[in-house]
Amino acid sequence: MNDPSEALASAKAAADRVVKTKRLNACLTGPKDLRKSLVAQAQAAHPSGVLYGMPVAVKDNIATLDFPTTCGSKILEGYRSPYEATAVVKLRAAGALITGKTNCDEFAMGSSTEHSAYGRTLHPFDKTRVPGGSSGGSAALVAAGVVPAALGSETGGSVRQPASLCGVVGIKPTYGRVSRYGLVAFGSSLDQIGVLGRSVHDAARVLSVISGRDPKDSTCEDRDPLRLPTVPESLQGFVIGIPKEYFPADLDPAVRRACDRVIRLFREQGAAVREVSLPHTSFAVATYYILAPAEASSNLARYDGARYGPRFDGATDVRALYRATRGQGFGAEVRRRILIGTYVLSSGYYDAYYRKAQQMRALIAQDFRNAFDRGVDLLFTPTTPTAAFKAGEKLADPVAMYLSDIFTVTANLAGLPAISLPIGRAKGLPLGGQFIGQAFLEDELIEAAYALERVVPATTEA
Amino acid sequence: MPAPWETVIGLETHVQLRTVSKMFCGCSAAFGAPPNTNVCPVCLGLPGALPVPNELAVKLAVRAALALGCTVHPRSVFARKNYFYPDLPKGYQISQFEQPLATDGSLSYLSPERGIVTATIVRLHLEEDAGKSLHDRFPKQTAIDLNRCGVPLIEIVTGPDFRSPQEARAYLLTLKQVLEYAGASDCDMEKGSLRVDANVSVRRAGDTALGTKVEVKNINSFAYVEKALTVERDRQIAVLEGEGGAGGAIEQQTMLYDAKTNSVRPQRTKEESHDYRYFPDPDLPPLVLQPEFIEEQRAALPELPTAKRERFQTQYALSIEHAAVLTSDRTVADYYEAAVHAGAEPKVAANWVINEVLADAKDHNEQLRVPAASLAQLVSMVKGGRLSQQAAKRVFVEVAERGGEPRNVAEALGLIQVADSGVVAAWVSEVLGAHATEVSRYRNGETKLLQFFVGQVMKASRGKADPKLAQKVLEDKLAS
Amino acid sequence: MSVTHDEVLKIARLAEVDVSPEALPLLAEQMSRILDYVAQINSVPASEGVKPFVPGPDAVRFRVDEVKPWPLAFGPAKLAPVFRDGFFLVPKLGQFEQEEG
Repeated sequence: MNDPSEALASAKAAADRVVKTKRLNACLTGPKDLRKSLVAQAQAAHPSGVLYGMPVAVKDNIATLDFPTTCGSKILEGYRSPYEATAVVKLRAAGALITGKTNCDEFAMGSSTEHSAYGRTLHPFDKTRVPGGSSGGSAALVAAGVVPAALGSETGGSVRQPASLCGVVGIKPTYGRVSRYGLVAFGSSLDQIGVLGRSVHDAARVLSVISGRDPKDSTCEDRDPLRLPTVPESLQGFVIGIPKEYFPADLDPAVRRACDRVIRLFREQGAAVREVSLPHTSFAVATYYILAPAEASSNLARYDGARYGPRFDGATDVRALYRATRGQGFGAEVRRRILIGTYVLSSGYYDAYYRKAQQMRALIAQDFRNAFDRGVDLLFTPTTPTAAFKAGEKLADPVAMYLSDIFTVTANLAGLPAISLPIGRAKGLPLGGQFIGQAFLEDELIEAAYALERVVPATTEA
Repeated sequence: MPAPWETVIGLETHVQLRTVSKMFCGCSAAFGAPPNTNVCPVCLGLPGALPVPNELAVKLAVRAALALGCTVHPRSVFARKNYFYPDLPKGYQISQFEQPLATDGSLSYLSPERGIVTATIVRLHLEEDAGKSLHDRFPKQTAIDLNRCGVPLIEIVTGPDFRSPQEARAYLLTLKQVLEYAGASDCDMEKGSLRVDANVSVRRAGDTALGTKVEVKNINSFAYVEKALTVERDRQIAVLEGEGGAGGAIEQQTMLYDAKTNSVRPQRTKEESHDYRYFPDPDLPPLVLQPEFIEEQRAALPELPTAKRERFQTQYALSIEHAAVLTSDRTVADYYEAAVHAGAEPKVAANWVINEVLADAKDHNEQLRVPAASLAQLVSMVKGGRLSQQAAKRVFVEVAERGGEPRNVAEALGLIQVADSGVVAAWVSEVLGAHATEVSRYRNGETKLLQFFVGQVMKASRGKADPKLAQKVLEDKLAS
Repeated sequence: MSVTHDEVLKIARLAEVDVSPEALPLLAEQMSRILDYVAQINSVPASEGVKPFVPGPDAVRFRVDEVKPWPLAFGPAKLAPVFRDGFFLVPKLGQFEQEEG
């Protein structure tokens, strides 16, 4: 695409597609605002940008100048950010068209997008099921063919898990690869902006554009943007590790069949396949659900109705204002996590919970280092323990919902890059498998994903 | 008879560092701007904003730590101190907790009761300031100004080392002096660039255990430091001695000092004491300082007050008191040395600076209005007999008010003394001729009449005679 | 180990979040469930030789001291729910509270 009329056509078509798929409740931006903005963006975009005219949706926990940033929460209803996330600035500079804000679990806390204050997002293939979360809106839009790519965010797998459930590609970069300036913080030492795409190539090119150094984020590494690798001929030379802890005896049979099929394909493509062990895997979810809520309890302390956002009034004094705003503005899951986080940081519990969880995190990161040091280039695992579950199925027991992150949280804890791609179907529902790579070696990750994507029968029953 | 009460005080001082921008963002750190104009996403605590530390703030903090004899830790960690308050937009303050920038320093100062004493500096760490809450500007509302939010601070904590409110004040003045010398801060309590909270307890002299400590806050000037601590100490003693000697117990709490009534009252909050839930700030990697960086800061430190005072004592043969006054302020010390380098005799120059110069400065907004070179000229003119001490003081005032070179001003005012012995001899002859009776009396033994003759010569010369020369000529003439 | 209703209320006060009496029992139950689950990490003995893991750069980078704020498309007046004479306004603090922290 290289001229404004094409970009304009792309913009209008994207707006039409969003309207057509309204029932999914994936895009939070109203049709009129969306169309107006897209047309203006198409006119302003630089034709020389590498993503010129590409519609890209953005998860609603990422600050944009166009459209409010609500993070799926009532406490930020109508909030207009006076600045834009670095990732979004880079997308615009590359000529992409920001195609609205997508629905998500409130403040990115959830695995189903059922915890949004703006209603749940429907799975594009089955409206009784969830698209996953927290980046469910982004995943649904990509899976429904509305946009070729969308930004999401990961703290415990919130890009890869919905990608897996919806049958699209989801990439989580190495921690520090993409600037977090403008990503509303949930678990600061775990958060990264990630990309969902209809193909490895779409997701990877968007990741390439948004990556790279940023003086506004102290945790962003001082590196050049990611350079896209070429599609390899085969997997010759790759050593792929299969961690046994991710293939427990009670793994869902369809998931196991799909993964076995992939492993056969690895061998056919010339890779060496080895079993490895990541012994502390079973403690990952517990570790995550101490550290992430702890950081969240601090990151969400700023939402109090004083300086921005709606105010939940009738307050007699400022503490009453805080308590009412936060009590009514936060949903149940967010409130639970804030309280858990406050508890594990509080005096008397800090050592047993928070400090201990930091030690566990170090052990989990060490497990990965040991595996890679032994000559493995990448690891391959299922992305999620099941296909998309039914709405309401996991709401009664919070821990049941947390366990859907069982295969994804480890990469966040270890700060490693990972990519999920569709590897089959179970009764028509998508199944995903993921590669976990070494820090800052996203190129190897993407190469392997390209190779697998080319040969895996992603839409056939496993 | 029970042992007398002993006061034990520890101080926590917050000092704003002299940077142009804030600690974690590029907003201006300047004082006095219209409310909420020096703000950005970071210091407003907007969703998605992130901190990036100020290099100069780190340098100045290291210099301050070195000036206070601290061990500077090559690796320290920023931590979040979590609490809710209207002027704290993020709901936490970025500070340092388990691994602070510096520890184990000390500062010697002159205690009014115990001579030179050394206070221990337990720790010095970096943090960001909060905004300002104004409770009285609008009825039933608190107004918040976030201009100050994010300004770089160092927190300096002493051990329980002070034994009187006077000592606390003396330490603070010395601390201010050292930090000003180091260029770290201007330490202005009125502008809020130096704030202090105190921990006060009392015990019987001879006891080693510490009494229950009470925190005292809202002390807004050096003078109030003494008053506030005195009030709290007296309150504690009164409680412990009880009504009619019954004796109560000290409750651990925070008191706020009220300058208007010179009293303290409890800062009562509805909940229990704070649990700050400190944890390392995940938005900031560790603060790692290379040895070269630390040495650069050490090299950037000027000669510090104690060293300068000792040098003045030896180099200029000054008393410890005079040297102390001259070095209390770096600008004054530099001024004094400039005058000496311009030719003023050190001891005389010292007297001039301590008396005339500083008195004038006090009335004129601390300005040193007479240039050092001019002071040197004045001092030389007195030494050479061309001006009497009194005349020189007049010239000083004139130069301070309206400028000009002392030489020219003295001439214009007709104050140049006559040191020509011939001219003086003429006046002497005139006076002796007119007072024959007194001359006889003098020659018969009433030698104290000499001053009378000197006075007469001054009168005859309309003050222009050099009195020392006049006296000499008189003595010679009267002896012959 | 369970979290009592009182503990939940105490934590809620620290976190400045209202919890209605109706919501309290379920919340306490769910928090207990979660805390029991995560407490399993204590079954792993502390490991001596492991390097503490902090993702991201090893050392913080500095910003030059200059007045160059990150851009704001519009100012506090447009952001704030209540803004007057240049100040953010909130209902006044409770009776005895003054300067804190």
